Amino acid sequence: MQTRFPEKTLPYLLLAPSIIIVLIFFVVPSVQSLYLSFYRVSALGNKKIFIGLENFTRLLTDPSYLNSIITSFEFAIFVVFVGLAASMAVAVVANQRLRGFGVYRTLLIWPYALSPAIAGLIWAQMMDPSIGLASHLLEILFGIRFNYQTNGQQALLFISVAAAWKMLGYNIIFFLAGLQSLPTELLEAAAIDGAGAWRRFWKITFPLLSPTTFFLFIMNTLYAFFQVFGLVHITTEGGPGRATDLMVYKLYRDGFEGLNTGYASAQSIVLLIMVAALTILQFRYAGSRVHYQ
Amino acid sequence: MNRRRIVLLLTLTLLLALVLSACAAPAAESPEQEAPKEEATTAPAAPAQEEKPAEPEAKEGPVTITFWHAMSGSRGEVVQDLVDTFNEKFPQYKVEAEYTGSYAETLTKALAAYKAGEAPIIVQVYEVGTQTMLDSDAIIPVYTMNQGEVDWAEVVEPIRKYYSIDGNLYCMPFNSSTAMLYYNKDMFEKAGLDPDKPPTTWAEVEEYSKKIMEAGAAEGGFSMGWPAWILEQMFAWHNQLYANNDNGRSGLATEIYVNSDFGKMVLGEWQRMAEEGVLVYGGRKYKANDPFLGQQFPFLFQSTSSLGGILKKAEFKVGTTFLPRFEGDYEKGNSVVGGGCLWVMDTATPEQQEAAWEFLKYTFSPERAVLWHKGTGYFPTSNTAYEMLKEEGWFEKEPNFATAFNQILSGNDTPASQGVLLGPFVRIRDVMGTAIEEAVVNGADVAKTLDNAANEANQLLAEYKQLYGD
Repeated sequence: MQTRFPEKTLPYLLLAPSIIIVLIFFVVPSVQSLYLSFYRVSALGNKKIFIGLENFTRLLTDPSYLNSIITSFEFAIFVVFVGLAASMAVAVVANQRLRGFGVYRTLLIWPYALSPAIAGLIWAQMMDPSIGLASHLLEILFGIRFNYQTNGQQALLFISVAAAWKMLGYNIIFFLAGLQSLPTELLEAAAIDGAGAWRRFWKITFPLLSPTTFFLFIMNTLYAFFQVFGLVHITTEGGPGRATDLMVYKLYRDGFEGLNTGYASAQSIVLLIMVAALTILQFRYAGSRVHYQ
Repeated sequence: MNRRRIVLLLTLTLLLALVLSACAAPAAESPEQEAPKEEATTAPAAPAQEEKPAEPEAKEGPVTITFWHAMSGSRGEVVQDLVDTFNEKFPQYKVEAEYTGSYAETLTKALAAYKAGEAPIIVQVYEVGTQTMLDSDAIIPVYTMNQGEVDWAEVVEPIRKYYSIDGNLYCMPFNSSTAMLYYNKDMFEKAGLDPDKPPTTWAEVEEYSKKIMEAGAAEGGFSMGWPAWILEQMFAWHNQLYANNDNGRSGLATEIYVNSDFGKMVLGEWQRMAEEGVLVYGGRKYKANDPFLGQQFPFLFQSTSSLGGILKKAEFKVGTTFLPRFEGDYEKGNSVVGGGCLWVMDTATPEQQEAAWEFLKYTFSPERAVLWHKGTGYFPTSNTAYEMLKEEGWFEKEPNFATAFNQILSGNDTPASQGVLLGPFVRIRDVMGTAIEEAVVNGADVAKTLDNAANEANQLLAEYKQLYGD
C-alpha cells in the first residue's frame, strides 16, 4: 500500500479517535493501576501509604494467589484446547452442503450473542444440583451426582465447559470462514489420489486452516484469562472454597469487594504481564508453524 | 498476499479491543444497575421540582435526598412502601430510594460515589461495614443529629450497643436480625419426634437429624445460610472472643481468634457432620433456603430476616428455636445482631441533613417499626414497637417472630457477645467463608485451614492498622 496522503495532518486526524479511545480507556487506567500498585490505599482513597513492591512480594507468597494462577491455567487450557477442538469439529461438519445448512450455521453462532451473565444463568439453571434438568439427567442416565456448589472439581469443570460453550459460536464463524476459503482443487486432487477423509483433513485442511486456528488460539487465551468474570460471578462466585477462584475473579474480590485497591492493582499488572508474555510466546513458537498462503 | 496481512492487522486490533473491554469488565458487570427507577414518585410536590430545575431557589420544591439500600425482593417492596408513605406525609422532602445491589456492592458503590463526589445522602450498610464507615471520615454520626427528639434508650439494647462506640450511636439501626434455627415440624412428626421440642444442643441437632434421615423423611440433616456469620454467632453464643481488643471495641483489632481451640472444635464438628451427610453445605447468603423449602433437610441456620419469606413459601409447618449450644464448659454469651444500619454521609447540605434526620426518625417511629417487622421478620428496633406488638398479641399468634427476639434478650451482655468490629471485615468474612468451604466441602485439614485463614486475616488487619492506626 504505497498510497500517500497529500497532507501531513489528515492521517493523524483520522487516527485521532482510536488514539483518544486507547488513551482514555487503556493507557491512563493502566498507568493509574501501576501507580496504585505501589501503595496501600484506604477504602475511600483518602489515605495512601507508599509501600514499594510489597504488594507484589505479597502476591508471590500468598497461597490463595498461587492457587488462582494454577486454577486460571487449568481453566484456560481446557477452554482453549477442548473449546477449539470442539469448534473445529463442528465447523467441519457444518461446512458440508446439507439441506438447511444456513439455518444450522446461524443457530451455531447464537451462543456468542449472549452476554456472559446470561450464559451463566442458563448454565446455572441447567446444572442446578436440586432443580437442574441437565444435572438430573446426568444422575438418572449415568449415575453421576453433579453438584457444582459443593464439589470443587466439578465446579471447575462446570465453568470450563460453560466458558468453552460460550466461545463456540465465535470460533465456528472463523473456522467456517477459513474452511470456505480453502482451495478446493487441493482437496479434489487428494481425493483423486485416493486419500481418505481423515487423511485429507489432517494433511490438507488442518495445515491450511492454521492461520485461523492460530488467531483463535490467541483470542481464546485472552478470553479465558480476561473475559470470564461475568460467568464466574453468576455461577460459582469463585467457590466452593477456592476451586474456581480465577485470577480475574480474585482481583474483583480483593479490589471491589475487599476495597483493597493497591493489592488489586498489583494483581491487574501481574495479569497483564503474564498474558502479554503468553501472547508473545505463542507468536514466537506457534506462530512460526503457521502456514500463510 | 496483502489480504492476509490485512486480516492479521484486523486481528491485532480486535485483540486490543478485547483487552480493553476486559479491563473494564469487573467494574461494569455487577448485577443490573437498572433497578426500576421507581415510578413511585407519588409525592405530590415532585413534578413541581422537575419543571423548574434551573431555578436556584430550591425552597419551592422539596428537598431531595438519595437513599441507597440493598433490600431486594419482598424486603425491597417494604422499603419502597416506607419511602412512599414518608414522601406523602412530608411533602417538603423527597426521598429517592434506589436498590444498589447486595450489601457488599452497596457499600462499594457508596464509597466509590463518595470519591467521585456523588455520594448518596443515606446509605444502608451491613454490620460488616461498620468499622469501614466509622473510619471513613465521610459520615455524620446520628447522635450528633439528635436534638433530644429521640431517646436512644428506646433502641433495643443489643442493637444499640452493636452500633455504638463509647456509648454514642453512629448510625440509625434499620434492619436488624440475628441467626436462629429453623426446622421442619412435619419431618419431626414423620420421624416420631415431638415437633414442639426442638433441639437445644448440637448433639441433639445431629441426633434428630439422623433419626429423620433414618426415617426416610429427608436426605440430609441441616444446612446454613451465611456460614461465616454462623461461625461468628457460635463464638459470641459461647462467649468466645472472635478478635483481640475486646472484639475490636476497645481499639482496632489486630488479631483474630478463629484458630482457637474453640474455632477448631466447631469447624471440626461441622466437617465430621458433613462427612456423615448430616451437614448439607448449601452455599452462602440465602442459597440454602431453597433446599430447606424443598424439604431436603429438616434444619436450617439462617437469619431471622428470612422468616417472612420462609413462612410464605413453606409447604410444611415451620418451627424456629434458639441457636443450639455445644457441649462443654462454655459460658453463655449472646447471639450477635446483624443486618443493616442507615448512615448519613457528610456531603449532605444542612437542608438535606434535616430531611435525612426526619426520614431516620420516621423509620424509627413505632408504627413503622411494627410494619417493618411484620413485613420482613427483622427485629422491631424500638422498645415501644416491641410493646405494641406484644399488646396486640402478635407474638402469641406468630410465635416464630418472637424466637429471635427472645434469644437476644436471653443472652448475657459481654464484650464477646456485642459483635466484632473489624476494619477489613468484608474481606475477612470472605476469607472465613472460603475456609469453611475448604474444610466442609473440600475436606481440607481443619487446623491448617484455620491457621491459614487467621494468617490471612491478621495480615489484612495489620495493613488496615497501618492505614488507620493511631
